[in-house]
Amino acid sequence: MIELSNVSVRYRVPQERIPSFKEYVIRWIKGQINYQEFWALRNVNLEIQRGEVFGIIGPNGAGKSTLLKVVSRVLRPTTGNLRVRGRISPLLELGAGFDPELTGRENIYLNGAILGYSQVEIDECFDQIIEFAGLREFIDAPVRTYSSGMYARLGFSVATMKRPEILIVDEILGVGDAEFQTKSFERIQQFRGEGTTILLVSHSLERVKQMCARAIWLDRGEIVAHGAADQVVDQYLQQVTGIERDRLREESQKALTPSNQWGDQKVSLSNIRLFDGDGQEQTIFQTGDTLILQMDYLAREKISSPVFGIAIHRQDGAHITGPNTALAHFEIPSIFGKGRITYKIPFLPVLEGLYQFSVAALNHDDTEMFDYHDRVYPFRVINRGGKIQEPYGMITVAGEWSHQKLD
Amino acid sequence: MSAYEYNSASLKPPFIREFLELWHYRDLLRLLVTNSIKTRYKRSSLGILWTLLNPLLNTLVLSIAFQQIMRFDVDNYTIYLLVGLLVWTFFAQTTMHSMNTLIWGSNLLKRIYVPRTIFAVSVVGNGLINYLLSLIPLTAIMLFMRQPFTPALLLLPLAILLMAMFTLGISLFMSTLAVFFVDVVDIYGVLLSALFYLTPIIYPVSLIPERFLPLINLNPMTTMINLFRSLIYYGELPSLGITLTAVGLSITALVVGWWAFTKRVDEFAYRL
Repeated sequence: MIELSNVSVRYRVPQERIPSFKEYVIRWIKGQINYQEFWALRNVNLEIQRGEVFGIIGPNGAGKSTLLKVVSRVLRPTTGNLRVRGRISPLLELGAGFDPELTGRENIYLNGAILGYSQVEIDECFDQIIEFAGLREFIDAPVRTYSSGMYARLGFSVATMKRPEILIVDEILGVGDAEFQTKSFERIQQFRGEGTTILLVSHSLERVKQMCARAIWLDRGEIVAHGAADQVVDQYLQQVTGIERDRLREESQKALTPSNQWGDQKVSLSNIRLFDGDGQEQTIFQTGDTLILQMDYLAREKISSPVFGIAIHRQDGAHITGPNTALAHFEIPSIFGKGRITYKIPFLPVLEGLYQFSVAALNHDDTEMFDYHDRVYPFRVINRGGKIQEPYGMITVAGEWSHQKLD
Repeated sequence: MSAYEYNSASLKPPFIREFLELWHYRDLLRLLVTNSIKTRYKRSSLGILWTLLNPLLNTLVLSIAFQQIMRFDVDNYTIYLLVGLLVWTFFAQTTMHSMNTLIWGSNLLKRIYVPRTIFAVSVVGNGLINYLLSLIPLTAIMLFMRQPFTPALLLLPLAILLMAMFTLGISLFMSTLAVFFVDVVDIYGVLLSALFYLTPIIYPVSLIPERFLPLINLNPMTTMINLFRSLIYYGELPSLGITLTAVGLSITALVVGWWAFTKRVDEFAYRL
């Protein structure tokens, strides 16, 4: 059981750095020390029951790790009160306090003792620890010869040698290879089944939804929302996508400059807008959604067989695609005055990330650029709860699996 | 186990709480002491021999310098010197090292809970082991120079206890300062070397002009070293004055150091 009542944590940072003792004494006598106060947590009230899996979400700097530090007794709250019943095992700092010069065996005892286990307890679990870490052959080699994966495996095995009453998990568990990740995840699930309280901090909102019954959303040290995990996650997402939408809109309205627009302007492009399948203007999509790009043109003279094109770049510069009307054999006989071009992507194949559209109008032979807007129009793709959940690579090819037995 | 119940509002006073926590983490304490010795001797090929050789060689150099060249008139000068030097080394190395250990150990302190005093206490433990080991070459020299072994030596463990208490107290006090002010470590280094010459370690007290004597005698390290010299070098019980002063100093240092440290201990994770 974990109970926080009115917990606040204040950091006092001297406004100027007072590096020396002498300076400090002089200023202290003059009463000239000004502190800048910073509340990392403010009036946090929280009750986590035994056996509960509880999630903490929020942007960076919201106070999530401060909260974990309070619960794991590293920081004593400035005001307010914390009550914890049960042994805590923190999975945040795997292998904290490993001494690289000592062997794996010696480090198991050292790390175990740092976590508050007695020699006898470690003796009992010793075989199971090296078995789980898969380090039997290396156990008498100094830890400095270990790979980072081995290091983390040993750390995890020590930290979970006994079922703790409370487990603190920060950002599950990029530990070791895929096989070890499965193993460690199973072990956590097993603890959970046996009644361990789990406090989970994660950036993966899906994970929090899946694993936690309840959650809080922290922002700037305060609890913004508190309740059922999926509701808290949805509220958080709404706000985040709201902010993101505003930001993207703002960004797409940024002025065209000579550095991102060129062409002789015989034809000018304007009013570039993105819509989803329902015709709603949109800047945030999911993989697999319909996306419609619309652009208006103004032809200042008569142009025959013009070509309109777009390009999609990922934020890191990767060029995803670059279709145009000529490549698609889509003939536009001749234009003069105003008109509108739309390009419909029925199944958006790109995975999560930030992307930018470019638009172009050029002549039929690709010898004259009328107007080019280079990577001006951003959109974001997210995959939460969508149809496509693929995390690897750039795009989905929406393939289909099949299976048959061959005997 | 009661340690699994934690309530930040109804904690015991830090002075006592820290002691109980330290007891709870006694296995870690033992490991910190043995590991630091292990890693130290793993590194050097002569291993544990260095601990024995080092004071011998140091003493040899200083003996030649001060007895042969400066012509200090002290019987068995080598023993006189070594007794004082060992106490001094224990004190100086331990206090310095425990400040650094706390500062370098801050990485651990900020990430995981362990009782904060454990660093200073383990450094004292480490120093004690080194001191005990260096008693071996001291014994060898005493045998070689036919220094008598008297029953007064039986009181040596008590003297060592007082010295450890005194040193731990100063270590904790200085560590507390060092957490809050970076330059304390450097200032302390300078103070230590001044104090070394203000303590009758390499020279006999008889060499000091009358008017400077109070300065020398006010120095707590003079008392500590005199205590050891009585037992080992003179082979007699220390005077009541020295004994009471040493006991008073040790208890005061430990209580004040422990109090200062534990009073501030909850702020360390914020400051380091």
